[in-house]
Amino acid sequence: MEATLGRFLLAVFLISAGFLVYLLVNRLVLRRAAQNESIPGARRGLPVILYFTTPDCLPCRTVQRPALQKVQAVWGERLQVIEVDATRQSDLASRWGVLSVPTTFLLDSRGKPRFVNHGATRAEKLLEQLNQLVRG
Amino acid sequence: MKPLQPVDHSALRTNQAVIILGLVLAFVLNFPALAGLIGALMLLGALLKQPAFGWLYRRALKPLGVLRPDVIADNREPHLFAQGFGGVVLSAGFLALLTGAAALGWGLTWLVIALAALNLFVGFCVGCAVYYWLNRLNVPGFSQSPPPGSQPGWRPRREES
Repeated sequence: MEATLGRFLLAVFLISAGFLVYLLVNRLVLRRAAQNESIPGARRGLPVILYFTTPDCLPCRTVQRPALQKVQAVWGERLQVIEVDATRQSDLASRWGVLSVPTTFLLDSRGKPRFVNHGATRAEKLLEQLNQLVRG
Repeated sequence: MKPLQPVDHSALRTNQAVIILGLVLAFVLNFPALAGLIGALMLLGALLKQPAFGWLYRRALKPLGVLRPDVIADNREPHLFAQGFGGVVLSAGFLALLTGAAALGWGLTWLVIALAALNLFVGFCVGCAVYYWLNRLNVPGFSQSPPPGSQPGWRPRREES
């Protein structure tokens, strides 16, 4: 029993270590994104969700876009959502380190990237991240 | 070179999730036979050109509506190669466990867990990247190039229309 518990704790440790590595990689992606100049069309003073998609990305249509619409409905004019077609603006996608879609970046009102989400992200998570943005 | 085919990535993700859960369970319970069985099923799946646990998705998760198809125009071969490669590593780990080299055996098992997790949560398939790298080196049998617009190993951006 003790051995099983020890192995369980070791498994939890290893999984946590993997998660920490994932967070570290996200931080590096954000640091790289922060070196970009301002996004075309972005208004200063508003938080921005920069949403990378492609026309035929299925999870973008079925999950990500409805989630963003929900977030926009809650935040209204206080939030700017900018959609980028990664196939048409591949240079921009490359500069932001986007390798898969959907990818969403959340920028604070000064234009600094604060969160990155790889893959489809639920509206609840985006709302929580936005609340963290305004709390500083 | 074969044209791209519709590949259901929901089946691949189910496969990765079952492999991760099964291997973590094998480690926690100190049950090498389970790791060996998963390795054998991965090898068998690669030979039959199917995800080892794709049946779980096809027969249960998809019909019950738990998961929806996520069909992308992609190459099947790199995913099969990745699964076969994982099966070989896992089988080597199982043999190491049988011969008493527990650290090596479980180390190889955790390597497979880490690579499957990278694929599942981040969308990067190391085995596929190795396949495309071998393709660039013109190694016989590795005839498929990455789908247009996608980086080698990363989940393709475009779906089958």
